[in-house]
Amino acid sequence: MEQLINQLKNEIIEVLNLEEVTPADIDNNAPLFGDGLGLDSIDALELIVLMEKNYGIRLTDPAQGKEIFKSVAVMADFISKNRTK
Amino acid sequence: MKPNIPIYITAACQISIQEPLCDKWMSEPRLGLSGYNEAIDPVFKEWMSPGEARRLGKIMKRAVVTSAECMKASGITMPDAIITATGLGCVKNTELFLTDLCTQGESLLKPTQFMQSTHNTISSLIAILNKCHGYNVTYAQGDMSADVALLDAVTQLSLGDIKTALVGAHDEMTPNYYTLLNRSGYYGHESMVSSGEVAVSFMLSSNADREALCLIDDIAVFYKPATESLRAYLTTISNVDCILAGYNGKPENDMLYDNIISLRDNPDTPVLQYKNLFGESMTASALGLYAAVRIISTGNFHNSMYRSGSVPANINSVLIINASGNDISLMKLSKVSL
Repeated sequence: MEQLINQLKNEIIEVLNLEEVTPADIDNNAPLFGDGLGLDSIDALELIVLMEKNYGIRLTDPAQGKEIFKSVAVMADFISKNRTK
Repeated sequence: MKPNIPIYITAACQISIQEPLCDKWMSEPRLGLSGYNEAIDPVFKEWMSPGEARRLGKIMKRAVVTSAECMKASGITMPDAIITATGLGCVKNTELFLTDLCTQGESLLKPTQFMQSTHNTISSLIAILNKCHGYNVTYAQGDMSADVALLDAVTQLSLGDIKTALVGAHDEMTPNYYTLLNRSGYYGHESMVSSGEVAVSFMLSSNADREALCLIDDIAVFYKPATESLRAYLTTISNVDCILAGYNGKPENDMLYDNIISLRDNPDTPVLQYKNLFGESMTASALGLYAAVRIISTGNFHNSMYRSGSVPANINSVLIINASGNDISLMKLSKVSL
């Protein structure tokens, strides 16, 4: 799981172009949206694309994202249980 | 069209293939450039945080910087209008978006690339960042984009609908698109100047300003003008110290300028060029305007711009000519004398 979390952090940094943010700066359990990384709704769309492209997970219900994108740890847990690639 | 009130250019900033945001191109320009060239970027972090910049492509960052510098230099932080010209828009993001579309289908497209693949993104971004809710228009008219945008600004200032306008011209180039334009003949002639990238912003104002860089005395855009009509119009703006024309080394292009200049009743007026320094692009004429503004306001230009005739010691007025196919634009600038 730790390996997946680190991989995910790197992918988030790359996809969202988070300059000056390193994987170590992202707390596994901190919220991605709002107070944590401060991501917004466009970033949520980028993360949905990332999940489908890299892990073969297609979110059919946008409301799911609210739960899945709570933190990197929650996201990694969801990916590990649902990934198709 | 001669404006019925004085219209001033109070600030002008550029990012191009020359050193950005300065007049080094006048004294120590980058010379001998050929083929594909990217603009020299300033350090964007000085104008925006990484968070603000992370979604922006380079064309957007350049537009933000030149706009901000123009607003700072002119002291006008809330222009009545934001008018932008672009030939290709955010072509880098367009290319990425279309590449993804071709290779991955429609389901995995990135929203940021989609949002920034439209031409009017630049003008909107400047408005959003500056909370400027006034007139906001983007002109994408090929090689005449910048000229038409300026015509709109001058027309509205002249009508009194607005008092100030931030006018920008922004274009970027990708290696792929450069290759396509080579094949089409837009670039690629062996004697031609290099390609260029453009980010130029001007602040135009109808408020009397002794510190303004210059006045816009006349602006006109023609499509397939009859020779006699063009000759007649040129006669009305014949009294200038020099001409600044968009010669680019391609024979059919340069012949257009020779023909237009030969129609003037004073064909011996000295002629300068600017694309040998700033390169060719769809909004290169905005860099011609920028060069003319700086020539009038500083009295200097680089020797490599000299093309013909004997340039007077003091340049108080310049006629800028932009020509492309059937389109011709003329703009006359003069020194401010309040």
